[in-house]
Amino acid sequence: MIRDFVYSKAKTVKETLDLLKEFKENNKIICGGQSLLILMRQGLVAPANLIDIKSIEELSYINFKPKIGLKIGAATTHSEIEKSSIIKKHYSVLIDMEKNLASNQTRNWGTIGGNLAHADPAGDPGPVFIALNAAVKMANKERERTIPLEEFFIDYFETVLEDGELLLEVQLPVVPPKTATVYEKFNIIKNDQGIVSVAASITLDEKGSSCRDVRIVLGAAASIPIRAKKAEKLLIGQKLNNGLLEKIGKKASKEADPVADIHATEEYRRYLVEALTKRMVRKAWEQAKTQAR
Amino acid sequence: MEKQLLRITVNNETHELYVKPKRLLVEVLRDELELTGTKRGCNTGACCVCTVLLNGVPVKSCSILAMQADGTEVTTVEGLAEGGKLSPIQRSFLDHGAYQCGFCTSGMLISATALMEKNKNPTKKQIREAIHGNICRCTGYNSIIRAIKAVAEGKYKEEG
Amino acid sequence: MKKYTVINTPIHNIDGIAKVTGRAEYAFDIKLPHMLYGKILRSPYPHAKILKINTKKAEGLTGVKAVVTGKDTLGKKQGIWRRFKELCDEEILARSRVRYIGEPVAAVAAVDEDTAEEALDLIEVKYEPLQAVFEPLEAIKEGAPQLHEHAERNINVTRHIEWGDVDEGFKKADYIREDWFRCSSQHHVCMETHNAVASFTHDKKLTVWTSTQSHYYIQVLLSWILGMRENDVRVISRYTGGGFGSKFELDSAQFCSSLLSMKLFKPVKITLTREEEFMATKRRTPMFYYLRTGVKKDGTFIAKEGRVFTEGGAYTSMGATALYLTGFFQAFPYVWPSYRYDGYRVYTNTAPTSAMRGFGAPQATFCAETQIDLIANDLGIDPIEIRRKNAMYPGYEVPGQATIQSCGLSQCLDKVEKWIKSRKKLPPNRGIGIAAYGFMSGGIFNWFDTPYAFSSAVIQINIDGKVDLYIGSQDMGQGSNTTMAMICAEELGVQVEDIRLHMGDTENCPVDLGAWGSRETLMQGNAVKMAAAKAKQQIIEYAAAKLSPNIVYDLDIKDRWVHLIARPERGLSYYDVVKEAIRGKDGLPIIARGHYTPHRKGMISPAYSFGVQAVEAEVDPDTGKITLKNCVTAHDCGQVINPIGVEGQLEGAMAMAAGYGFTEDLPMDEGKILNPNLVDYKVLRATEMPETKVIEVETYEPEGPFGAKEAGEGLTNPTAGALGNAVFHATGLSIKNLPITPEKILEALKEKKRKKKK
Repeated sequence: MIRDFVYSKAKTVKETLDLLKEFKENNKIICGGQSLLILMRQGLVAPANLIDIKSIEELSYINFKPKIGLKIGAATTHSEIEKSSIIKKHYSVLIDMEKNLASNQTRNWGTIGGNLAHADPAGDPGPVFIALNAAVKMANKERERTIPLEEFFIDYFETVLEDGELLLEVQLPVVPPKTATVYEKFNIIKNDQGIVSVAASITLDEKGSSCRDVRIVLGAAASIPIRAKKAEKLLIGQKLNNGLLEKIGKKASKEADPVADIHATEEYRRYLVEALTKRMVRKAWEQAKTQAR
Repeated sequence: MEKQLLRITVNNETHELYVKPKRLLVEVLRDELELTGTKRGCNTGACCVCTVLLNGVPVKSCSILAMQADGTEVTTVEGLAEGGKLSPIQRSFLDHGAYQCGFCTSGMLISATALMEKNKNPTKKQIREAIHGNICRCTGYNSIIRAIKAVAEGKYKEEG
Repeated sequence: MKKYTVINTPIHNIDGIAKVTGRAEYAFDIKLPHMLYGKILRSPYPHAKILKINTKKAEGLTGVKAVVTGKDTLGKKQGIWRRFKELCDEEILARSRVRYIGEPVAAVAAVDEDTAEEALDLIEVKYEPLQAVFEPLEAIKEGAPQLHEHAERNINVTRHIEWGDVDEGFKKADYIREDWFRCSSQHHVCMETHNAVASFTHDKKLTVWTSTQSHYYIQVLLSWILGMRENDVRVISRYTGGGFGSKFELDSAQFCSSLLSMKLFKPVKITLTREEEFMATKRRTPMFYYLRTGVKKDGTFIAKEGRVFTEGGAYTSMGATALYLTGFFQAFPYVWPSYRYDGYRVYTNTAPTSAMRGFGAPQATFCAETQIDLIANDLGIDPIEIRRKNAMYPGYEVPGQATIQSCGLSQCLDKVEKWIKSRKKLPPNRGIGIAAYGFMSGGIFNWFDTPYAFSSAVIQINIDGKVDLYIGSQDMGQGSNTTMAMICAEELGVQVEDIRLHMGDTENCPVDLGAWGSRETLMQGNAVKMAAAKAKQQIIEYAAAKLSPNIVYDLDIKDRWVHLIARPERGLSYYDVVKEAIRGKDGLPIIARGHYTPHRKGMISPAYSFGVQAVEAEVDPDTGKITLKNCVTAHDCGQVINPIGVEGQLEGAMAMAAGYGFTEDLPMDEGKILNPNLVDYKVLRATEMPETKVIEVETYEPEGPFGAKEAGEGLTNPTAGALGNAVFHATGLSIKNLPITPEKILEALKEKKRKKKK
């Protein structure tokens, strides 16, 4: 059962930050609430004060500037991302990711900020945004700060957000030429959270023959989304071939730190990391070759 | 705990209620407003049996605080038939037997209605994706797909 | 093919308008004045003594009106197997001992659910944990903790079925195969969870609104356990949001809300959460299966021996029936010259296992059909051919058990074979698997020991021709309301709009045993048909008097036209005849009764449905993931009554059975269910369901109304087996341990590679 709380509906970011400071540790932000309300119903979270930021218009936007990149407000819903033509044009992997995320109903109300702040290691946005080299902007009453998304997650359901701090925005840099980013998760029922998931982003050199940059991000394979950096190192400066792909898959599998649960053993999760990594690296490679410039 | 003022329009009727902030939208719809057509099937936001339209968009009413719906327009299954006339989706469900025990039907109708507003001629794949969230244990879904497809194919044009 | 006016035509389900407008009122929706809300405290231990329960703090919480424990009951043990007292072993509200995690220990009534829930935390229960045992093969060992005093080695019931000489048969066999299987549990996942509103009033009468498959059973069981007169208890269940076998036994919501209401003289509502539903309501019986089968080298079946241990859980429940039926249907749908089955149901400290759609037959069919494909493969025989060779046929007698009258199995095999051939060459990693089944069309067993006819119906025809049809059957979504209205309308010669149905209320309805064992179409249908025939006869007598035809002519009614069969243009409107008939009877409406009880129809069922299902599945070689591509089912349910209903039931059964095959499971740790929610328990959604094709094979079943048989439970039998066989043909791997998960496939693949290396 949900415990009683004092409810405040904030209309601006400033109001929110004031309330956060006022209520100190005894508060929780609710935006879409698609994860939070479940926790509250089970009694796992029982804040004394709930600050509703769902209607803050200044937090809901998708802005793209050709030289700067993409900025998504934290209160933007998954559906808004899914339907954005600007995102379809420049960051289409986000559309793929959103289409396969939970249900229509969840996407219509749940937000990207809420998802990232919830920090479920099996969440879809985390690995994909990290693969896209995202950064997140946060603020409290005193200051604003922007850090790489990769540094945002600390542990299961834990982020660097401090008391009094609000997640404001996700920022994506302009996609370099000859770059492709892909994502796949393994599940039994479509749109369920992945038993494991892999996002891969590959940037080729001008000739399109060797790898200039690569990011391989594993989801649901550790306590937070992690980059398989050793696997990435194998590909830098190289041309992809079957032998190398095998090595990359095996390396990523070793870098994973998966748990065993009712859905899969640790061994099977490692096996899936290997299989999905190979698939995603190959797919990103093929797609990057066809990218303009 | 102090109750707060909630102003909400449901099926074109505006209500002013005082509710505890922890009340869920589905609870207010079913208890305070006595619209029991919307059901509840789980506690983890997984079954979508409680789907309603909020400002035209399908959402899970069990996963929204009633206060978050303040100032919005909600449509429940009771609001689909206007002036005693069943909607095309409702009529097609009847013709295709797209329900059995009926418990998931309200949410299913809402999802189907929302789909038809957005996409006049969805493919079967798109239909499956639109109702993906709604669990049905009785029908195996295919009769529901057929019912929605029939509306998409124009078999239920509104009478003049 | 007979042409009917009403049956086998596509009409709207008669509850349709209520359901699509959100006006259908389920027990879930019932709200009464001064109603209180209840919650149940459940045991966290799989096995423990209850030493002491202190309810003072809970009672003192503001808003709490009453708390009940086992001390507030009569201490009766109840169960559905009323004929066998030792199998009535469940108190529901435990008094001195708990035997599974989730067993009710106390219940609270309060002004709202949250207060009731808070009160649960304030109830102090002192337990003495006992050693627990979770696996049947462990529980049966000497020295294992004993769950019930009377059950030595925790053996709850045993069953034995035998005919012919199996040992001789094996001697004659050219080829013998032995296989071991493990069949998992499964949960019904009704969208409407178990619930009840109980209202005990000062005249000492109890009314209970509840979600049930049998208001009659609940009335009898509740009155028994409460020490009340049977007909001082009224059970109402107009709409039931799913049953699938989970809702015809007395449950904790019904019992606890009744106890609380009896204390408070106010209505008390208890609704189980989805978590409680998973944890503490009954489930499909897990089974450990051994099959030894002997055949001739041309594939003729000679001998089969089956040995099964089932995980009974803490109480008998309906598990004894599942034990028998799995043994019985293990031999279906083929001719076995000799057969021997021994089944053991073993008590374990887990949630009781009971009835779920198929009732032991899905497990039997999975094992049998998997083994048949393996045998066919070993001998180089086509899977359809080996089944055709041994298929049951009309008139076949299962020795000492059953007579098969109508049987369209061969035609079903032909239809499925045709479809398979049309698929030509399959893409890589794909396979088609088939499974055949036969299923009962109305379980005969009267372990409930009812003194009543198994099913009854009463008809009253009013002055405007409207027909009041009173039935006892329960519609839980399978469409029995519409089926009964159609049967009545067809027999009486009117249309469905002329029928006003009364059901779901023990106060107004004649007895029917309920919606289980696929009995409604055949049993309630026969009762309805009989009543309608008698009512029709009365109308015809008046019409004959009016028309005064030559005595050689006889009359009938079709589409509201009472006429001479040989000269249909000579007749009268049904409405006119009814008006005159009532006047002619001193103003009394036309009344007729019907009933049905199967006499001398064998041990199991008066009739059997048959079918063959083909599943086409693709297996991802990298991950083991299974995708369903196609599903074709040819089935024989005799005469189809409600075609839209039948198609819906078949598709629904397939989705549930496919879930049993590859996505649904109830993993446990020391008796605790690990996935009691709909995120971790995976039912099929619209995106997993393949296109399905349903092919009707029409036969005529003399036992059924208009020749009809069941359609809807039998179809839950074949899918797991067909899916397993599809995986076998796609990968060469036979997984004998349900559910067939990607991980198991990859493990089997690794094992195969390892063996190859050797």
